[in-house]
Amino acid sequence: MRLSVLRLRHFRNLGVQDLDVPPEGVAIIGDNAQGKSNLLEAIYYLETFRSFRGARDRQLIAFDEPLFRIAGALESSSGKREVSAAFQAQGKRKKVTVDGAEMDRLTDGLGQLAAVVFSPTDVEMITGGPAERRRFLDIVLSLSDARYLQAIQEYRQSLARRNAALKAGHPSALVRAWDPGLVRAGACVIERRRRWVERMATPFREYHSAVAGGMGASMRYRSSVDVEGASSEEDIVGAFGEALKASHEREVRLGTTVVGPHRDELVLRLDEEGGGLDLREYGSGGQRRTAALALRLVEARTIREVRGQDPVILLDDVFAELDAARSERILHLMEREETGQVILTAPKESDVRVRRDALPRWSIAGGRIEA
Amino acid sequence: MKGSKDEVRRLSRALVDLADRIRPCGVCGNFSEDDVCGICANPKRDHTLVCVVEEAFEVGAIERAGHFGGVFHVLGGRLSPLDGIGPEELNIASLLQRITDAADPVREVIVATNASVEGEATAVYLEQRLRPFEVRITRLARGIPVGSDLEYVDGTTIAEAISGRREM
Ligand SMILES: [Zn+2]
Repeated sequence: MRLSVLRLRHFRNLGVQDLDVPPEGVAIIGDNAQGKSNLLEAIYYLETFRSFRGARDRQLIAFDEPLFRIAGALESSSGKREVSAAFQAQGKRKKVTVDGAEMDRLTDGLGQLAAVVFSPTDVEMITGGPAERRRFLDIVLSLSDARYLQAIQEYRQSLARRNAALKAGHPSALVRAWDPGLVRAGACVIERRRRWVERMATPFREYHSAVAGGMGASMRYRSSVDVEGASSEEDIVGAFGEALKASHEREVRLGTTVVGPHRDELVLRLDEEGGGLDLREYGSGGQRRTAALALRLVEARTIREVRGQDPVILLDDVFAELDAARSERILHLMEREETGQVILTAPKESDVRVRRDALPRWSIAGGRIEA
Repeated sequence: MKGSKDEVRRLSRALVDLADRIRPCGVCGNFSEDDVCGICANPKRDHTLVCVVEEAFEVGAIERAGHFGGVFHVLGGRLSPLDGIGPEELNIASLLQRITDAADPVREVIVATNASVEGEATAVYLEQRLRPFEVRITRLARGIPVGSDLEYVDGTTIAEAISGRREM
């Protein structure tokens, strides 16, 4: 997949610009706070229709403007496509179109770009709480598996309502009325997360080892539901139902549902020669950054495998915090992995070495891009 | 609209009159111009077969689909704890009372709440409340798209969902 044209209207400080993006990608060079990350944020908005930096839509509109709009022309082996996203402050109206047709639900337009963002804040996936890693799983799987997307949405709806009933102290018959729906959607979520983690454990180890220069790491899905003996989604339905029953007294006391995929964890550990340490608790800064990079690389691999597209790789100033050796190795890895288009940002020329300096350069100052 | 202003006034007056006359049926909760709606008052309908729906306009959707000869019960919503809607806010007690008091014992209740997360939970809860009565409890067959309101589903799909209903 590649982005051939990007049209920007009042997104953050980027003003009104139409950009022809080179097929191989581009390196965007500029000082801090000139809009480099904003540009990657705009591009990735076409993938998920929200900010990868966690900003609210309203914050993305340029000062004194009523709305922003982003449109991208995409090209792949399967043809051309035009995706646009707009958000209007008044009425908080968001509109997404694919080839000119408005999507009734935003989720219908998800994942058109097939992109992955690497950002310095990715390290929070490792250092943050379990919710950070569940969010990573949810994004990767929602973008590659329509059934997962539906299941996770139904699960969240059921969970919110069940928790409201628990919190309000409703009788148990009223709480349990949400169980069949919760269990059905939740079992699908657990099963698909678990299967993906199993499938990607070896690639994760290899990517980690390639970036770290030797040391591997493991990835394991640990469910709050005992699913050791459960081999199918049906088995998980049974196990989840039992776990809910067994925890009923505790959930009533706490006023919230205490088992289910919303309490599960993606456990990341260094391999034995590294002491088998949990990266979240014991990893060094460099080790955690390496693990975060490896997670993004398995995300890119998922796009390649599931969607049959070389992903568009967005690198947001990722080399700033990596030592020279790690930077070299990750660049080498990206060349080896047949990535598609690479769009990267860097503060100065010397940081740009992807594809042996073959990437065209753009400069950015005050939000204006000069090709 | 080509009509004169007088026609528009006449039409709007008719609508206001209609709105004033419409009220919930005292038995089932359906829209009615009398105390009891045309369906509940019709002796040719099968009063031992009760179809439970969320909203009164869904009665119209099922009626338009044809093939259903029973009667209805309108809940007036669905379980929605986030909006503070529990069983007391729905016409559940009146349903149980209706079954208790029926001259001809009710033999089957079809739970036709929507296939949304809230509609499903409402169905599960109703099933629990209906279990002590000696009635068959059925749910519409799958095939109605998840999350869609009956109102927007075409007649053939509704007719198939009713004929393919299964025990809960
Ligand atoms: Zn009636």
